[in-house]
Amino acid sequence: MGYPFAASLRALVRPGAAFDSPPPTLGRAVRDMAMVWLPLALANTAWTLWRALGTYDLLRRGGSPFGLLDRLGMDPTEVRDLIAMLPAPPGFGRVWPWLLLVVPLGVFGTWLHHAFWDHLGLWLLGGLKARRGFRTSLLAEAEALRIAAVGTLLGFLGYVPVLGGVLALPLLVLDGYLWLFRGFALAARHGCAPWRGLAATVVHAVLLGCFVLALVTLMLLMVRMAA
Amino acid sequence: MRWIPWFALAALGAGFAAWLAAILEPVAGLLPQCAFKHLTGLACPTCGMTRCLEALGRWDWPAAFHWHPAVAACAALVPALALWDLRRAWRGDRYPRLPDAPAARVVLWLILLGVWVLQAARGI
Repeated sequence: MGYPFAASLRALVRPGAAFDSPPPTLGRAVRDMAMVWLPLALANTAWTLWRALGTYDLLRRGGSPFGLLDRLGMDPTEVRDLIAMLPAPPGFGRVWPWLLLVVPLGVFGTWLHHAFWDHLGLWLLGGLKARRGFRTSLLAEAEALRIAAVGTLLGFLGYVPVLGGVLALPLLVLDGYLWLFRGFALAARHGCAPWRGLAATVVHAVLLGCFVLALVTLMLLMVRMAA
Repeated sequence: MRWIPWFALAALGAGFAAWLAAILEPVAGLLPQCAFKHLTGLACPTCGMTRCLEALGRWDWPAAFHWHPAVAACAALVPALALWDLRRAWRGDRYPRLPDAPAARVVLWLILLGVWVLQAARGI
């Protein structure tokens, strides 16, 4: 019996050979993805939410964690007045049951979203010559996201005091690699050159992600800095 | 899977996002600036999308077209797309494959680049 996630780490180190084996059925690939990714996503979201609620509460009470507002160049009075108008945060105990609904929706929504836009990116780059349909993209994404879920696990290191700050940049690079990693799965399952699969994920990022991803990344950084 | 109207469901989600954007408009000023624009001084292809979404949430179509013409045009087509998808799902038809013609890809590339140039030139 190997170490947990050993196969995923091997696949990430040798992405060219990660999808050489015959593809599983779509149902099996989705089940495997959910079994690995869902528990990690639940833990990560619960932890992030708990910290975010704490930060929000602190801001409402007039605190400025680690001088966050000053660092961001915002007028603290203006921001506090604005935040004071917002409702008080609910307790974590009231919110967490909703995570059992929201996180699976987020996981499967992310899978469908990635499959849709990567498929479109692959089409834009002429990577669908083998005429394998969207189902193949769904399968490839499920396989890739099961492996890439290990990134969520490593992402917990970012919450460790001091170490989190040191690892911020390497974890960002890892995030970038895990984004591109889906391209290897797409290329292998669609039977096209790996560069087309990788470029499809880049097209996806450029078309729709450069704004949204930057926004989410900055907001997560703000939450992390504040907590 | 073919009996599920995926595009119609996505249209519902997009409608919810627009409604949420209108509600959250008072705190939109807290959102950080587009990282690409911040670094390069040029608008990215998606610059103006948040403001377009807020305008759609207020049902302010002229403002939506001003902030992001492509997204506003897509939003205008959403009801038709949702109806087509509901009909497709009702009949149990598969989704059509994307056309294999290189011309179709080139046209879409040109539209995407055109939108980017338009947004950058207007300084959105």
